[in-house]
Amino acid sequence: MRIKDTNNRKSSQGKVMVIVLSDGPYISQYADIGYNMAQKALDLGYGVKIFLYMDGVHIPQKDQNPRTLPNISQSFEELIEKGCEIKACIRCAAARGYLDESQFLEGVEITSVYDLAEWMDENSKVVMLGS
Amino acid sequence: MSSSLVIIDKAPYGHENALSGIYIAIASLDRGMDSDVLLMGDGVYAAQKNQLADETLVYPSVSELIYPIFPHGTLFVHLDSLTQRGMKYEDLVEIAELIDGKTLYELSKSKKHIIKI
Repeated sequence: MRIKDTNNRKSSQGKVMVIVLSDGPYISQYADIGYNMAQKALDLGYGVKIFLYMDGVHIPQKDQNPRTLPNISQSFEELIEKGCEIKACIRCAAARGYLDESQFLEGVEITSVYDLAEWMDENSKVVMLGS
Repeated sequence: MSSSLVIIDKAPYGHENALSGIYIAIASLDRGMDSDVLLMGDGVYAAQKNQLADETLVYPSVSELIYPIFPHGTLFVHLDSLTQRGMKYEDLVEIAELIDGKTLYELSKSKKHIIKI
């Protein structure tokens, strides 16, 4: 059973970094860059939320086996365990055949772009990564 | 109230980005955020009027889809990008507003979130 570190969600500074990823894994380095940024921000005590948009919804797919490359879904599993909130756009997910969360890592939620809009508040900063 | 600027710099039908950027702007406006869209580079083609994508490509017409941002949000079109592509203000949908480099600088400075898609 995975235990989430929910303390990280409410950081001491109350600041949250929102990362939007729009590229799929391996086609570019953006997923890895997003992971590294999130990891560092969590270590520094900031809250981190990741919104997967367009091809970004492929990132948390289970059972990836990239062989010669770092397995991005394992990296994202670490982020979830550290309290990072991850949501995937339902329009993008449905278009790519993800009809529910069963194909995703545990803890990834399929939701609408309206949730991204709600994350963009005065306490957050959005970083968009994608080509 | 939070604010955002969605910058679209890709042509409307070669990539999903323009469509997806507009959805972010619409969702932000619906949530009460001060949100605008800026088209620059090849993104200016998204504002060309009389697009027939829904009939010819079976893809939502981006120029139609962009209308719901009005009147609470503004559709800015980067003047230099438009000129470089041989387009004129008259070629654009009615809600488009031209923006020059200096005003663009002030606009982006005034926004809390910049989404370049």
